[in-house]
Amino acid sequence: MDTVYILITGFISVVLINNLVLTKFLGICPYLGVSGRIDMAFGMGLAVTFVMTLSGTLTWMIDHFLLMPLNLEVARYVCFILVIASAVQLVEMYLRKFFPPLYDSFGIFLPLITTNCAILGLCLFLNLWGVNSLIEAVVLSFGGGIGFTLAICIMAGIRENLRMVDVPECLQGAPITLITAGILSLAFMGFAGMI
Amino acid sequence: MRSLKHFFEQSWLLIVASFFFGLLIAATNAALSPRIEMNKVTKLTSLARGLLPQAEKFAPLRERIEIQGSDGKQQEVAVYKALADDSTVGWTFKAVGSGFADKIELVVAVDEAFETLAGFDVLMSNETPGFGDQIKASFFRDQFAGAPAAGLSLVNTGNTEEIDDKIVAISGATVSSTAVVETINHYLAQVKEQLQKKGLIGNGSES
Amino acid sequence: MAANPDGQAGLYRDTLLAGLWRENPVFRLLLGMCPTLAVTAAVKPAFTMGCCVIFVLLCSNIMVSLMRDLLKPHLRILMFTLTISTFVTIADLFLKAFQPRMSEALGPYVPLIIVNCIIICRAEACASKHPVLLSIVDALGMGAGFTLTLCVLAGIRELLGTGKVFEIQVMPSGFVPWAALGMPVGAFLTLGFLLGFINLISKKRS
Repeated sequence: MDTVYILITGFISVVLINNLVLTKFLGICPYLGVSGRIDMAFGMGLAVTFVMTLSGTLTWMIDHFLLMPLNLEVARYVCFILVIASAVQLVEMYLRKFFPPLYDSFGIFLPLITTNCAILGLCLFLNLWGVNSLIEAVVLSFGGGIGFTLAICIMAGIRENLRMVDVPECLQGAPITLITAGILSLAFMGFAGMI
Repeated sequence: MRSLKHFFEQSWLLIVASFFFGLLIAATNAALSPRIEMNKVTKLTSLARGLLPQAEKFAPLRERIEIQGSDGKQQEVAVYKALADDSTVGWTFKAVGSGFADKIELVVAVDEAFETLAGFDVLMSNETPGFGDQIKASFFRDQFAGAPAAGLSLVNTGNTEEIDDKIVAISGATVSSTAVVETINHYLAQVKEQLQKKGLIGNGSES
Repeated sequence: MAANPDGQAGLYRDTLLAGLWRENPVFRLLLGMCPTLAVTAAVKPAFTMGCCVIFVLLCSNIMVSLMRDLLKPHLRILMFTLTISTFVTIADLFLKAFQPRMSEALGPYVPLIIVNCIIICRAEACASKHPVLLSIVDALGMGAGFTLTLCVLAGIRELLGTGKVFEIQVMPSGFVPWAALGMPVGAFLTLGFLLGFINLISKKRS
């Protein structure tokens, strides 16, 4: 029961309280770029969740079973980024061959995700938070992706409405998105101290 | 064989570069890691020195002290003995807890019998500036200097000058204040128990 | 390419200045947003991050430019990534050894320089196509532009958020700090308004 409690609070913490986009500033570039429409935002969010869960788990396993026992922590960053890049590449090839409709719906997002700082950021945060068990790593990575999806879908909904409003010319595009993100992060701050 | 040759033709640069970069990283690491290790220890002991000014040096314990963290997991605690003229004048250790925003890391110092708190200092915190950040302020921290080293409780109003087991919370920063008091209580109880088990303190026997 | 009477020197000067204003990585190209928001709560971490980025950009541009004739097309992103991550690891080690407080303040954002779009984009767009000297100048220009941007943003946030700049008290004692600027809200709002302001200036100029 203790484990389940830790997993649930960890999940809620990563999705709401320590939301990767709105409190840790990870994944801002795709956040600004792809949040124009809800369907694209949702697709991006799902792709990110998928890659994040996969790479979070993989990098955690490599960190715990290879790097730490062999005292090779200094090679951590190189290993992580190579694992993430190869994982994304393999996933893309696999999807293209065996699940073409899924590959078509993910579209151009998959290659973009490799340089998404959210993925590497999450892997590093898993290390920083002292995650000690595999199941916790999986749940937290999945939660990170869900948090990203949540934030980007909310932003897409708001931006679709902003199109009908009179935004000053100099603020159109990235500036107004950032200001909206600021207000969103203020709203999410209300979740702090919840658990 | 041809595909192997082709493979090498395409990737020889990658392989050579990997070796070169690996060497570069290894060399830098070997040159800098003693300094990095020293930095970690210096930080804790310099803060502890502020809390236990009579100590001349801090020696890490040879025995490994492990306690159960607030999340149920076993974790190692770095405990140091404060020494002056080779006799123990106190103990200091690093306590970690969850605050409002993120982790809070504290340096806690107690006297040699583990009965009175010498005080605490903040190693790392990301609390709200102006509110939770005030856990670093002297009006909050001074309440802990001389308090009993067990069973501290948080109250909303009271006399901050009176040193006892009641700690007055920072107004507007209840979560941060609670986090500090709970973390200190949790660590004090468990570290004391562990030190007694290893025969380092307790029941009048001191090393 | 500048059609200048002083030829090469003019090209170098143009490249250097481009990074500072015309092609400023944060304000114009909208690259490297993540560290911009994360480390600009105070000027000291922002400046440290800027210096790290300059170091990594410089080393990676030099390395990529030296290797540019040997790169195979489909392996080049992998080579860039490998180069960049090596230099980021080295920069991180130096930071942990000589500036431990800054290293803790910056935390995981130093290794995130690896995926900072600025560095990969410059390697792809400039270093892999031009000789070493031009790549160095480009790295310095872009790096200086990035550092300047970070410091401006951090200056605003720290000044209004705590009344201090570089930990020196500047505002008079009666000033009530706008604590919100030190939090994520402040980061987003400041950058958003600053971007809007820069857009306004550019519109007015042209």
